Amino acid sequence: MLTLSAEPGSASRRFFYSAIFWLIVPGIIGLTLATFLYVPSVYDSLPLTLKPYLSFGRIRPAHVNLMIFGWLSQAYAGGILFILPRITRARLFSERLAHANWWLWNLMIAGAAITLPLGLTQGREYAEMIWPLDLLLIVNWVLLAINIWGTFARREEPKVYVSLWNFMAATIIFAGVYAVGNKIWDPSGAYTGMNDNIVNYFYVHNLFNSWFTTAGLGLAFYLLPKLTDKPLYSHRLALWGLWSVWTGQHHQLYSPAPDWLEYLTIVFSILAAVPTIAFMVNFFMTMRGRWGRAAEDVALRFLVTGALFWAFTCVQGVAQSFRTFSMYVHFTNWVIGHSHLAFVADYSFWAFSLIYLMIPVLVRRPMYSRKLMEWHYWLTTVGMTIFMVSLWIGGLIQGQNWLTYSTPFIETVKSMQPYFALRLVGGLMAGVGVLCMAYNVWQTARQPAPAPALSPAAAASGGGGE
Amino acid sequence: MKINQSIVYLTGGSIISLLLGIIVTIILPAQDPAVLGPSPLARPYTAQELLGREIYKREGCHYCHTQQVRAPEADRGMVHQKGDIGPESVPGDYYYQSPVFWGTNRQGPDLAHMASREGIGSNADWHRLHFNNPRAVASGSIMPSFDYLTPEEMEALIAYMLTLK
Repeated sequence: MLTLSAEPGSASRRFFYSAIFWLIVPGIIGLTLATFLYVPSVYDSLPLTLKPYLSFGRIRPAHVNLMIFGWLSQAYAGGILFILPRITRARLFSERLAHANWWLWNLMIAGAAITLPLGLTQGREYAEMIWPLDLLLIVNWVLLAINIWGTFARREEPKVYVSLWNFMAATIIFAGVYAVGNKIWDPSGAYTGMNDNIVNYFYVHNLFNSWFTTAGLGLAFYLLPKLTDKPLYSHRLALWGLWSVWTGQHHQLYSPAPDWLEYLTIVFSILAAVPTIAFMVNFFMTMRGRWGRAAEDVALRFLVTGALFWAFTCVQGVAQSFRTFSMYVHFTNWVIGHSHLAFVADYSFWAFSLIYLMIPVLVRRPMYSRKLMEWHYWLTTVGMTIFMVSLWIGGLIQGQNWLTYSTPFIETVKSMQPYFALRLVGGLMAGVGVLCMAYNVWQTARQPAPAPALSPAAAASGGGGE
Repeated sequence: MKINQSIVYLTGGSIISLLLGIIVTIILPAQDPAVLGPSPLARPYTAQELLGREIYKREGCHYCHTQQVRAPEADRGMVHQKGDIGPESVPGDYYYQSPVFWGTNRQGPDLAHMASREGIGSNADWHRLHFNNPRAVASGSIMPSFDYLTPEEMEALIAYMLTLK
């Protein structure tokens, strides 16, 4: 199976398949974590030989890293490889290179899935992967960048669509951010003292800002006109990453870091509202007259829901950048709600939209079941809403109790029980939704006898960018 | 050509913004006088304490326990008794640490000054009991038990806990 096929679209398809696999694995880990928080005795009752590998502090980074680099980043890579030939009207720079990229990518993720539960970790948030895997990650991003820049270089389409700029910038900046954030030249991967934390959160913030947001907006700018059959309202470049590189420290307000650094990041965090508003204006103006379609088209509905959640993420993000609000919610379960809002409800929803638009084109068959798509949408949306709202409410209660300075800490832990229960229920719903999608994609891919070619009508509704 | 110009702007702009971000938010803070020396609470670790830090890192304790006390809660925040969260954390506290375990979430209490907590913090026997079966000493705790650690690992972890003054 070690094939490096040159068939157009074959690498994109593989990235989507493995992305879905790496969504299910850390999803199961996430549900396990939620169960341990709600009923700690479940973990206590495990056999002693298993306990080290299922310990909360070891599988939590596995959940996070597999979701980030296994699921969402691979879905992004699949989407980017799909879009590149369509917006440049050229063949992908190298399909074979993209396949090699896929193998190395999955080697890295499998490595993370094995090493993290074994306790092999660098112990820094989102940067836990050990040194050899760090190096492999840089190689993977460089290979992806070669395909992006190489396809750009051989483009036949004279106009460069905005998405392409986003992909080109995202790959450059993120490789740099990762190298610095993970101290790539040092096998320990850690700096010393306060600086270690400052660099860590520079990286954490820019993982989202320079990769998931910059590349993600590129994907959204492709999806939006495609799914609405309408040109993008404004083609102005929306590379908001360019000043949010400064805001990492807003993750640690009132921390021992210098005050001037906190004030600086607060200013830049507020400034980040400007490109957010620009995107939302663009989004709403493009959607005008097309809202009805979101009722029928699940791919568009995921995109729209994701964009609305994205706007909400940005509002929360700016609010959390103020010291007073941060003092209230930071360290509470609110933060877990916020991170799932950004990761699942916006960027992953956009990735679901990619899958429902692109898989039928890549396997040349319509999706196997419309009903399962609806189940996926509703279970995931309602499930994640229950998940997030319960953690936000729980977090506010927790924060309030801490600020009384007269409640024993253990009481604030006990008070989280109902919210942990609701989170588990919401997570289970979202998980079943994801399984509906996985089954649906599997059934679509394995259906016998693909039609020889898409009819013009079908190609127009789901096909390429021509 | 216009596009070639744009590509120069894009690449240049991306790299410059990244470099500026690194200079202003990483390199400049590292020159801050406050980080250039240890605080009175910081001291170099022994080999056993360093092993204990490795266990703390390996088991991911920092995902549920922070090690930073913020100004507004300093000497007021309550773990068992009012104010026992301890004094505000300062950069010099972390002088000998790599990586640091500041954390972002408190499923459990802050541990920056845990060894100074009355009655239990400096009591190695309490720690041993607590690691082996958290709910035996703290009813309602959601901490996992660490009964799988080897005796050597357990003692190292406890030695590290006792440095958190």
